[in-house]
Amino acid sequence: MSDERDSLSPTKIGLGVLWPAFWTALPIKLAFALVFLAMDMMHFEGRLGLGFLMFLASPVTVFATPIITMGLESHIGEGAGIALLFLLCIPIDIWALGVVGRTYFLEKFRKEPPDGLGVTLWWKCAVVGAVFLPLLWFIVGTVTSTSISMAHSLFEMELFKGIPVAERISAELSLWGGVSVTVLIVLLLIGVSLIGRMIRSTSETARPVADSYQHVVTRWDLMRVPADQGLMLTALTLGGVVLSMLFWAGLPVTTPHPHECCKKPEVKAEPPFKPLESLNKDEKLIAQLEGQIDALEKQKAEAEKDKDKGKGKKAASAPEAPAPKKP
Amino acid sequence: MGNTPAVNPPSSQPTVIEKVIAFVDERVGLKQMQAKMLNEPVPGGSRWAYVFGSVLLFIFIMQAVTGILLMFYYVPTADHAYASTQYIIHDVDYGWFLLSYHFWGSTAMVVCVFAHMSQVFLWGAYKPPREMIWLVGLALFGIVMGFGFTGYLLPWDQRAYWATTVGVEIMDKTPIVGDFMARFLKGGPTPGQMTLSRFFVIHVMILPAALMGLAGLHLFLFRAAGPAGPFRGTAEEIKAKTDFFFPRQIWKDIVGMAVVFASICALAFWEPVVLLEEATPDPGDYHPEPEWYFLFLFQLLRLKIFAGEFGQFLGAIALPGAFMALLAALPFIDRDPERNIFKRPVALIGWIVVMVSILLFTMSAIINREFLD
Repeated sequence: MSDERDSLSPTKIGLGVLWPAFWTALPIKLAFALVFLAMDMMHFEGRLGLGFLMFLASPVTVFATPIITMGLESHIGEGAGIALLFLLCIPIDIWALGVVGRTYFLEKFRKEPPDGLGVTLWWKCAVVGAVFLPLLWFIVGTVTSTSISMAHSLFEMELFKGIPVAERISAELSLWGGVSVTVLIVLLLIGVSLIGRMIRSTSETARPVADSYQHVVTRWDLMRVPADQGLMLTALTLGGVVLSMLFWAGLPVTTPHPHECCKKPEVKAEPPFKPLESLNKDEKLIAQLEGQIDALEKQKAEAEKDKDKGKGKKAASAPEAPAPKKP
Repeated sequence: MGNTPAVNPPSSQPTVIEKVIAFVDERVGLKQMQAKMLNEPVPGGSRWAYVFGSVLLFIFIMQAVTGILLMFYYVPTADHAYASTQYIIHDVDYGWFLLSYHFWGSTAMVVCVFAHMSQVFLWGAYKPPREMIWLVGLALFGIVMGFGFTGYLLPWDQRAYWATTVGVEIMDKTPIVGDFMARFLKGGPTPGQMTLSRFFVIHVMILPAALMGLAGLHLFLFRAAGPAGPFRGTAEEIKAKTDFFFPRQIWKDIVGMAVVFASICALAFWEPVVLLEEATPDPGDYHPEPEWYFLFLFQLLRLKIFAGEFGQFLGAIALPGAFMALLAALPFIDRDPERNIFKRPVALIGWIVVMVSILLFTMSAIINREFLD
């Protein structure tokens, strides 16, 4: 068991803390995000998923997002709610990392969690994220755009010209998607492993736990149960009621219009097809064209008549023309 | 003084609520039911991976609530369906939100069904003695898809009309029953009033009734077989971590529901439902396509190997039918008791291939749409 604990890879440690911490903090962050959205305080651009991920994956994004937004000119949206949500995420993340970190230290490292573990893990994650995420953003962005253009030019070659559109789209997507997803996964694993190393270094100074496994399970179990359950329940209910009232108070009665920053391309359909109107219009057009054709034919016939008359007069007065010679 | 009768303190007297509960309990066995529902042991303790079933139930209830509220205003006739939907969006207070929530709720339901089925598959929870739960789950998956398909027509705009036309045409290719099913659903040579009426009845009456019955059976079978528990860990670890359903798993389920609710609301804000022009038998420049969760199949049918009458049958009916038959037969083919997904390489690779293919063809369909536009 001890060997297994020592052989825990940094990637496993990083994932073991970050993944549950993400889910622990998520519902609280989402509740605030929802209220801000309802109150028209946040406007995301097209990449809603990415924008949301930036918030919800804090603390690693807490410093990284402003750097990416300013340094790499990638804009996720507008509104005071975005900054406010980032500020609110700080205490939520510290609490979530504290809860998860303490459990992890007891269960996996079998070590006593040090005091202020939540704050320690938070600032370390934030610093690693601030350095690593902009780098990841830049590399993945560059790799994706390069592989898209390479895949595109590959299929422009004469050899692949005959490939039908659907097959070509799937093949191009597989090529550039495969490359960029691989790079993204490798870089993410490196980032998670960096955080894992940092967590392991924090655990090295902690005291080992001497209790039995059953006792350790009971300890981390009780850590998650609030000391005053009545107070916790009342606070949660009150918080829920206040947030619900804010949500319904802020919710627009009619369809909200997209913010200037984040207008989406308008979906337009062709004007409706009205068979009767279209038929009448076409019939009129055909009748009109028929009239025009008749008039033209009459005109032509008269012109030919006049021509024949002229020719007849000329033929009566002039000698017969010789037959053309064959070449 | 010593002879005065002893008076019980007021706290020992049952309150009105306690009396009511005791009255009901005596007649229906409320406490026994509560104990049975909440004290179910969860082997290995509560987990986030187990929340999808409860989340699906929550989404269904919310879909039913929003659907009933929408029915107060919606008129299921070809003359008024489009206008009444526009009325809901533009004139009814919070109507846009109800409709958008209902729309994105259906998407959430499909995503959660995929997640739930994936979890059961990866955890090996379809293996004996849980084969029946898996089979009923597959039927529920079909019903969820049916909800999406029938609900899509109801707004009666170009998108709805043409997605349904494409869907019914695909159905028409099924041997023996295809023609009957297509004619039954359309109720005429082209989609019209009969189609709308039939889709509406299926959407609001037949499918909810079927879903409620099968979901009840699914839960009953789940309770009878018990939770499968984690696929890893020693017997000592699993026993030490085993917990009751209440409170920890219930708490996780509630958090899961809150996350889904918030996500659906966020999507409703970000992309509220906007209708195209009213349905007509001429698509104009609009490129008909089905809902996003059928896009991968739609794109698959664009490939050259699926061209022609036989190819279309192969891609639209034979392949998906064979895949569903394989899923149904899975618990009877895979008799190995091993549940750890990392020791079942065929299952793991198969799952990855299916997921990547669905993702790849869905994204290809989106790129293809841009290409056509």
